[in-house]
Amino acid sequence: MKDKHITEILDKASIAALSESELSEVRAHVLECMSCREAYEAARLSAVAIKNRAQAVIEPSPFFQTRVMAALREQQAVESVPAMLRLWRSAKALVSTMAVTTATLAIVSFMQPSQTTPATDQTASAYSAYSVIMDQDADDQSYEQVLSTIYDDDDEAR
Amino acid sequence: MDLARQAQDGDESAFAEIVRRYSPRVFSVASRFFRQRSLVEEAAQEVFLKAYTQLGSFEGRGSLEGWLTRIATNTCLNIVRSAKRRPEYTVSDLTDDEQSWLEHHSAGDGGEPASVENSVVATDLADRLLSVLSPEDQQALLMIDGEQASVKEVAEATGWSESKVKVRAFRARKKVREAMEKLLSYKGKRAGSVAE
Repeated sequence: MKDKHITEILDKASIAALSESELSEVRAHVLECMSCREAYEAARLSAVAIKNRAQAVIEPSPFFQTRVMAALREQQAVESVPAMLRLWRSAKALVSTMAVTTATLAIVSFMQPSQTTPATDQTASAYSAYSVIMDQDADDQSYEQVLSTIYDDDDEAR
Repeated sequence: MDLARQAQDGDESAFAEIVRRYSPRVFSVASRFFRQRSLVEEAAQEVFLKAYTQLGSFEGRGSLEGWLTRIATNTCLNIVRSAKRRPEYTVSDLTDDEQSWLEHHSAGDGGEPASVENSVVATDLADRLLSVLSPEDQQALLMIDGEQASVKEVAEATGWSESKVKVRAFRARKKVREAMEKLLSYKGKRAGSVAE
């Protein structure tokens, strides 16, 4: 039996939980086996340390119950608010920013003179009475469009 | 069961009584995971808030204490898992106090009543050893070797099978022993270099 190392016995249970026969086997073996002696020593010391760690228990403070009940009421208050309202509360900042940006853009676009006016004039001149009459390729204009262009020009001349 | 039923029906004072009665148990579970009071209190509060929302699932088949212990264990495990991984200690981090504790106890005369200082050093040393384990393996070892809980009790508290508990405890014990062997060999080397 002395040839068999005892590390498996040490890892199977805490030293305090080993049976008397297992302990005798371990003690007999470590007298002759250096590596198992070190393992036994390490197992013994770690068992003492672990036992100490398990005894380091923190007791609840007298105010703990009050703290939990306060947290519970707070949680209930949050849950009682309707989902849409909670969504609005969380998205309020984003929506407000978007509204302000939209309003600013609208104001800026009304204040600045339109850049498209000259282009409109060019378009108008492109459809002057002369050009309409002379342009043989202007098939894409309807009869009414041609007439209105001619008479508009006449009105302006008068 | 009466308290649980009253709390289920919305009786706040019944739930307050549950908190008062079982907070020592929940603190004891949380203390296995954390050493700082603030962390233990935070975890314990989370346990009770979770218990309140899950009261409907408590059918009264087991004890209320057992049910809360299970919630506490799983909640603390989740907190530890989601927290950043703690830096692992190395053997070269041994403090002078730990060094002398090891020397004192290696001599085999560790049978004297433990002083508070000695307990703190031993607890620090245990945390150093436990840091090589997963949180689950730590629990198995602390409960079985530290608190003398049975495999069945650990299985009930954690929801693991008994064979899983045995495997975890075996693996944890082996790793902790090997970590301690490293510390002891470092201690030997350090003592040797001081003597030179």
